[in-house]
Amino acid sequence: MSCVGIIANPASGKDIRRLVAHASVFDNNEKVNILQRVLLALDAIGVEQVSIMPDYYSIGERALDGLRLSSLRAEILTMPMTSTDKDSTTAARLLCEMDAASIIVLGGDGTNRVVAKGCGDVPIVPISTGTNNVFPVMVESTVAGLAAGLIALDAVDVEAVTYRAKCLEVCIDGKLADIALIDVVTSSDLWIGTRALWDPSHILEVVLARAEPGSIGLSSVGSCLQALGVRDGHGMYLAFGPGGIQVLAPIGPGLVRRVSIREHRLVPVGGEVTLSSDPYTIALDGERYIEVYGTRTITVRLTRNGPRVVDIARCMEEATRCGVFQRLGNLEGD
Amino acid sequence: MATRTITYREAINEAIRLEMRRDPTVILMGEDVAGGASTHLEEKGEEAWGGDLGVTRGLVQEFGRSRVRDTPISESAFIGAAVGAASTGLRPIAELMFVDFFGVCMDQIFNQGGKMRYMFGGKAKVPVVIRTLYGAGFRAAAQHSAVLYSVFTHMPGLKVVTPSTPYNAKGLLTAAIRDDDPVIYFEHLVLLDTSGPVPEESYVVPLGKAEIARPGKDVTVVAIGRMRLFAMQAAEELAKEGIDVEVVDPQTLSPLDESTILESVKKTHRLVVVDEDNPRCSVANDIISLAAQQALAYLDAAPQAVTAPHTPVPFSPPLEDGYIPGPAKIATAVKAVVA
Amino acid sequence: MAEITKDKLLWIYERMRLIREFEDRAAELFAAGQIPGFVHLYAGEEAIAVGVCAWLTDRDFITSTHRGHGHCIAKGVDVKAMMAELYGKKTGACKGKGGSMHIADVDKGMLGANGIVGAGGPLACGAGLTAKIKGTDQVTACFFGDGAAEQGTMHESMNLASIWKLPVIFVCENNGYAQTTPSRYHCAAEDIADRATAYNMPGFSVDGTDVFAVYEAAGEAIARARRGEGPTLIECKAFRYYGHFQGDNLSYYTEEEKAEQKARDPINKFIQRVLDRNLLTKAELAEIDARAKKAIDEAVKFAEQSPYPVLDEILTDVYVSY
Repeated sequence: MSCVGIIANPASGKDIRRLVAHASVFDNNEKVNILQRVLLALDAIGVEQVSIMPDYYSIGERALDGLRLSSLRAEILTMPMTSTDKDSTTAARLLCEMDAASIIVLGGDGTNRVVAKGCGDVPIVPISTGTNNVFPVMVESTVAGLAAGLIALDAVDVEAVTYRAKCLEVCIDGKLADIALIDVVTSSDLWIGTRALWDPSHILEVVLARAEPGSIGLSSVGSCLQALGVRDGHGMYLAFGPGGIQVLAPIGPGLVRRVSIREHRLVPVGGEVTLSSDPYTIALDGERYIEVYGTRTITVRLTRNGPRVVDIARCMEEATRCGVFQRLGNLEGD
Repeated sequence: MATRTITYREAINEAIRLEMRRDPTVILMGEDVAGGASTHLEEKGEEAWGGDLGVTRGLVQEFGRSRVRDTPISESAFIGAAVGAASTGLRPIAELMFVDFFGVCMDQIFNQGGKMRYMFGGKAKVPVVIRTLYGAGFRAAAQHSAVLYSVFTHMPGLKVVTPSTPYNAKGLLTAAIRDDDPVIYFEHLVLLDTSGPVPEESYVVPLGKAEIARPGKDVTVVAIGRMRLFAMQAAEELAKEGIDVEVVDPQTLSPLDESTILESVKKTHRLVVVDEDNPRCSVANDIISLAAQQALAYLDAAPQAVTAPHTPVPFSPPLEDGYIPGPAKIATAVKAVVA
Repeated sequence: MAEITKDKLLWIYERMRLIREFEDRAAELFAAGQIPGFVHLYAGEEAIAVGVCAWLTDRDFITSTHRGHGHCIAKGVDVKAMMAELYGKKTGACKGKGGSMHIADVDKGMLGANGIVGAGGPLACGAGLTAKIKGTDQVTACFFGDGAAEQGTMHESMNLASIWKLPVIFVCENNGYAQTTPSRYHCAAEDIADRATAYNMPGFSVDGTDVFAVYEAAGEAIARARRGEGPTLIECKAFRYYGHFQGDNLSYYTEEEKAEQKARDPINKFIQRVLDRNLLTKAELAEIDARAKKAIDEAVKFAEQSPYPVLDEILTDVYVSY
């Protein structure tokens, strides 16, 4: 049976960057609309089953309310709900156990990060709901739904249309504390607070999995020195502060800032960096997430243990090249 | 300074203008009080309407858009903002276009503005004026013609003013703006175009003081707002028949000048109250009750109330004309009490 | 937000503790029949009022709600006068004429707790208008609940504040329930912050049990308002320990919810973090605890010993002059 999972994060797209950086608001009713288009695409391409993470806003239930589907069966996952980011990890784990063929993720870098902790080898289709993201793509959700469906129907070669993401593993005193998909940042901010990072003067050190020139955030800072994409075998370490070079980079929406980089170097996949600063907080993929107490040894290892990610454009090209849509068109034709 | 003849509309406008000149904390806000905010008119320092019926015309040119503010059609928000501004240091004049609209903002008027001082143990003052149009005779039908001052008179914490002439319109509004309590100032639609002598300079007609509009000895006719004009007409006719009518205009319904009314009743021994409002729980019946409780021994006849019927204001001209208590009905009532 | 002085930390703790102590004591006194009427208690939401008011002075204004004790204390209203007001005593903040739901102190910029849900929005716009017209840098914080978010007044007020660029911050205290009705039922868009877009103002959600998150968010919003850039909507997600009012049977909370409330306690979270960071010592916190307890003991004693107003006072304070 072809099954696609869906994880839509109701909390994404509404942090303080709306105020400090004029970031777009991504309201939940818009996520419902996006999900409805995903569902219609899955239904149209012939996927049999979709399983949706429950959430406090009931994005899944709202999307299904009144939606006319012909053969797609939809269910909301039965799982304990905490209304925290743990739910996304739990849902990903469940979907992995259910042998879902692909998981569509509506959210930002942070959402994908927590999904990555549970999704195992199931390919994910990350749809960006926000403007602060590097990992998910801004894509019309109908197309993303079709791509997820193509994987579920085994209509394309999964190996050819997916890539394995890089991953940053953060260890505190030798113990794995958490992971990030794009960047790990140490900060002098005392607390997690409102989570977002927007003042470069508070940033101490940065480890990047990717340095994308076309992106926003700290990844863009690294890209001013050298571009490192999803398939490059390196990440980058940066120490902020005077005495080195200065670059101008879009560190957030509406925030193009001059940033001083004291030191930088490439980090190979498999390599490890021991951070030298004594931070109060560690931000993962753009959000302050860990409060650090006392002097700790913080190391970051770059791996290729990230999730398998569907390259949506490549997936659609491959399907077109193989005549999948012509075949599906004739199957349904009359 | 001279006295000249101007309209009730111009008298209101002049009171606002002089008070805004005198006191920078006086501001004016309401729907289209200037009109055309953010259009090419604003760039030129001009206005579109100067109020729906032109009452506030020309004020924005003198005082600018900061102090003469067009508002969205959000009566709760801007009437409430006027109350909030009054309690924090301004003297706002807010315009509730028609009193019939009180239903969408009454909480801010009576639960907030009217009760704030009492609830806070006297530690707040709310010097806000809410100007509002009222009254039948404009063919405006049921939702733009009601009177309703009885509703506000009922509520402690509010003051209610009902000007009837250009002279008292200006003086009462000046007093209302300078008053430290919330005042609901009722402007009668049909009176806007009436004219009368008004001094050029600023002056105050004190709140809570009735005016003997016409002294007389046979019967007291208490007439509110536009009804004063009808009562005066009736009195002139009745004088020809030898009935000497004393017309008392309360001018302010809350506080009510009870002593002037009672003095008059004690002198004439007869009372007719003319009130354009609906009769149940009305100011008319309140005044009759006052006389009954405090001057019954002086009364030679049962007092009469001349009011609108217990109906909404009808649209059709003959119906609306019949709805309004006019000079003929007043004369009939007077004859009944002097008989 | 690395910059937070030790004095500010002490102030934050002292205010949060004072609110908790006041509310816990009010709950006891109400249950014992000492306080007439009813009381809507703020315990559980301390981080919101305190995190916001930490940026305000007596010259700034706040409007409040029926759950207003916390706002009063955060804005510096005297707890003795507050407690006496709960008792209906002459020495109360409102001479006993307002009670729990109408405590005010205009001199402290506290424009009144309010018995009408959603009524504070227009008043906040008015206070903002005063500042704007007088050209001062005063800011008004408008506290309102998730229930009030459904009132037309709040929609009207946010629109008005936005078109007039008023220095007002709208602080939605989303405790999840309007009386017993959950926001997932009463709210078509459960994240109240989402609505800011429609009013053309920034809006975002923060954890309303994390005083540092509220403090940081409010700091940015208030700075924006002081710069003349207009209003902001901050949604603070929190909970109420005592339910709608003291005496609420809390039957609509699940056991998990109650456990979760304990885990999210804003004061415990604060304590743990400042101790772990070595910013404050246990002794310093204990001293504040003792001071708060003493202040409330004294407030209760003051309230109990104060006289009731005499009947003649029923007629005063209706008008300035009449």
